[in-house]
Amino acid sequence: MNRLDNQLSRRRFLQASAAVGAAVSLGGITAACNAIGQPAVQGGTFNWMTWGDHYIDTQLKAIEASDKIVPQISELAGNAEGFAKLKEVKGELDQMSGDALWVPDAYFAEGLIEPFDINELKVSSQLYPFARQFEIWTKPEGYLGYPFGWSPISIYYNVEHVTPAPDSWAVLLDPKYKGRIVIENQPEEIVAYMGKASGVDDVYNMTDDQLATVKGLLEQLKPNVLKFAQQATDSVNAMISEEAWLITGNLGNEDRVKDGGGPEIKGFIPKEGTVGWMDAEMIVKEGKNKSLLFPFMEKSQQAEYIAENFITHGRPLFNEAAYKILVDKGEGDRADRYLYNKAEETLAKTTLKGPGTSTEKSIQLFNEVFGA
Amino acid sequence: MDPLETMPVSRHGRAIRRAMQVGFAALIVFLYLPIVFMIVFSFDEGATPGLPITGFTLHWYEAMLNNRVLLRAVGNSVTVAIIVSILATVIGTMAAFVLVRGRIRFPNATRIAFTLPIMVPGVLIGVSLLIYFARVLDLSLSLATVVAGHLVVTVPFVVLIVASRLQSFDRSLEWAAADLGASPRRAIRHIVLPLIAPAIIAGALISVTLSIDEFVITWFTVGSQPTLPTFIYTRVKFGVTPEVNAVATVMLFVTLGTLGLAAVALSRARRMTGRSRRRRGAG
Amino acid sequence: MTTEIVGGAALAPPTAIGGRRSARLRQLAPFLPAMVIIVGLFVVPLALMFVFSFWSTNENLDVVPVWTLENYQNFFTNPTYVRTLFKTMVIGAGVTVVCLVVAFVVAYFLSRYVSRRWARIALLIIIVPFWTSYLLRVYSWQAILGEHGALNQVLVGLGILREPSLLFVYNDFGTFIVLAYLYIPFAALVLYASLERFDFTQLTAAQDLGAGPVAAFRRVLLPQIRPGLITACIFVFIPILGEFLTPSMVGGAQGLLIANLLANFFKTALIPEGAAVGFLIAAFVTALLIVFRRYLRVEDVVVRG
Repeated sequence: MNRLDNQLSRRRFLQASAAVGAAVSLGGITAACNAIGQPAVQGGTFNWMTWGDHYIDTQLKAIEASDKIVPQISELAGNAEGFAKLKEVKGELDQMSGDALWVPDAYFAEGLIEPFDINELKVSSQLYPFARQFEIWTKPEGYLGYPFGWSPISIYYNVEHVTPAPDSWAVLLDPKYKGRIVIENQPEEIVAYMGKASGVDDVYNMTDDQLATVKGLLEQLKPNVLKFAQQATDSVNAMISEEAWLITGNLGNEDRVKDGGGPEIKGFIPKEGTVGWMDAEMIVKEGKNKSLLFPFMEKSQQAEYIAENFITHGRPLFNEAAYKILVDKGEGDRADRYLYNKAEETLAKTTLKGPGTSTEKSIQLFNEVFGA
Repeated sequence: MDPLETMPVSRHGRAIRRAMQVGFAALIVFLYLPIVFMIVFSFDEGATPGLPITGFTLHWYEAMLNNRVLLRAVGNSVTVAIIVSILATVIGTMAAFVLVRGRIRFPNATRIAFTLPIMVPGVLIGVSLLIYFARVLDLSLSLATVVAGHLVVTVPFVVLIVASRLQSFDRSLEWAAADLGASPRRAIRHIVLPLIAPAIIAGALISVTLSIDEFVITWFTVGSQPTLPTFIYTRVKFGVTPEVNAVATVMLFVTLGTLGLAAVALSRARRMTGRSRRRRGAG
Repeated sequence: MTTEIVGGAALAPPTAIGGRRSARLRQLAPFLPAMVIIVGLFVVPLALMFVFSFWSTNENLDVVPVWTLENYQNFFTNPTYVRTLFKTMVIGAGVTVVCLVVAFVVAYFLSRYVSRRWARIALLIIIVPFWTSYLLRVYSWQAILGEHGALNQVLVGLGILREPSLLFVYNDFGTFIVLAYLYIPFAALVLYASLERFDFTQLTAAQDLGAGPVAAFRRVLLPQIRPGLITACIFVFIPILGEFLTPSMVGGAQGLLIANLLANFFKTALIPEGAAVGFLIAAFVTALLIVFRRYLRVEDVVVRG
């Protein structure tokens, strides 16, 4: 019994020390990681849910260096998803990006965001005047978001593989292009596109009859879709690698694809009309770190960064001062090509994205069709 | 090895054995292919992991060490995994004892109840916890809620593993201890626990494994704190840069290293106490 | 349950004040934390979801207490869901079969022809991939199977294909391969634990008694490892019913499985609809578990160490 005791205790001791050693080393590594991972004392971090093209890395690094403010960015796929998430987590997010009518009719209506006086932000003087006065974003309590960018949705096609040159949503339904389409992972929008294709104008408030027609179009679309793009970069990469010959997306993709070494592509706005958006950065009412947002925006919305953003991502933005920078840099042509100066008139011809009476049914419809 | 055990059953035994060796090697290649790619891409100069390989660089490892959020994510994930593992092991082992030896009225139903969390889709568990925390308990999400979520899927594993081991445990050892004057508590501490230790350790290891790479439930229950799987997921969506590969490679080798050290320590312990593996106690 | 007197004595209640009830409480006390977790963090939230599954979503994407059976009815009347569930089951069954076959060969090889020590090391090597990120492993498969990926480059380079094939990824084939990849180690672990305990001399004995190798296999080996086989099936098939990340990354737009539909609903705030689908899946899984409850021995999963 004694020997057994000894064996057990010696073995136990060695096992225990091995375990303790492992735990101590793991603990040490964890502590080191956590220590390095803490942002510096002043400033702080806040939580921002947004699309991938709302920021560029150099901009974030510079703001981190100068103001010690570091946003923690989480992926925003689409408006419905973002809205759903914010409704659940509320104060866990501080800044939220959103499109057009989603801002007043969904986020503000649910009391999730805080209006503010946009003129309090000095950098807002760099914006086009009309951007500070969008009717849909103006409430007695204040302005609902800081305007960032805009675009109508266009269809882009690979010039070599897609002939004849298309001009309608119907090209997405052509069986010739089976498995060659990449489309954004935004169920409510895909249904809206097909709504336009079927001739409906108000695609976010469709009747059941209209939805029934749309369902048929969705079923035609389905075999043509290769995969869903999670962010704009996915679509662009698919065009560059020529995995896809047709994508939907924002203005500016021709240059982006060319810059990425891809083939020649052309974009067009379908003749049946399209949806459009302008997006804004919203302040979450219950956000714990919202005090950091104004200082952050004062820096991040400066014209130099906006101009750089345009060069990187390509679609037009609301910063007027940035336009001048672009012209100075020789990118004026590109800016004009993408209608940088023509926001009001272009958007007037589109149906603005937003929630509607048929949003829920649209999402259900999408799930039904794109299931097995 | 006992030649009788390895004597082939059929005439083509040797050929079959050769085929199996080849097949095994092929399987290892198949299993490690993506991992090799993952490691290779962490040294690739190109900014998007993918072929072709353009050049060799340690740049991404440097970037990894400079990426505060990434390091914090790793720290959070490891912390959560350790806490979850300790809690799950203790809670699960205690529960296993009662499950096997106590007099629970519906033992089979309880066993099924413990199996259910493993079988229900993680999405459902995640969403139900999110709604429960956010709407019912009005808790704000944090690493604590993540720990809670992980416990739901790890405790069952520990309970079932330890309970199985306990069930086949030879009670005569405890009777012998009782005969020699040990109280039940002493018997458990000195006889039962050491002998079922492998099962407990297995439960702990499974808990760590499950927790550190757990994505789905974490996604729904985490607050604003980054964790490694959610960080990787966001990167996969926004565009993976090889820093992520670098982190994964480092974690892989750290894990291997820790396992290796533990194995060496354990085998040395065994050798020192002169117990051969064949000669086991009960069970 | 054992009823030995001494066994009972090991947890003997104090015969002092309070008597049997407090003694029983003390006996059950260690069980309480686990019970709190299972009930408080699993049963109750799911019960809440169950109630939600009978409610509806309004236009603002809020859940409103309008009682309806529509969410469940939709599952059966709308052919998509049943089709997707069926497709998921087919893919799940296929992956299970492939995993079992491969895992069995590996486990047989390791338990019979390899010494214990090396077998354990080999198993560890098989398990190590589990210690890397699931997402990254699947993501790497995109790079391997894609149009410009490694596989195509090899096949085109060897001249087997004239141009890269689009057939490997962003479809069900891609999902199948990656799922098999992810679950083979698990199945191998389970089967090895089962085969390790098998006495292979029995096969020789069977042969001595006149059985051919195939018959010896069928009638001596397989029945004895049946619990292990079934456990492996359960631990592969059932989690596949909940897989949505792999299909979303390598399955393309055509490759959605039932869990993707579930996830889609939840992502877009259609909680009642999603809850209904979720519970139907869970009910199906529970039914399977109850049918196979005798074989749920998780000890087969343990690596004896």
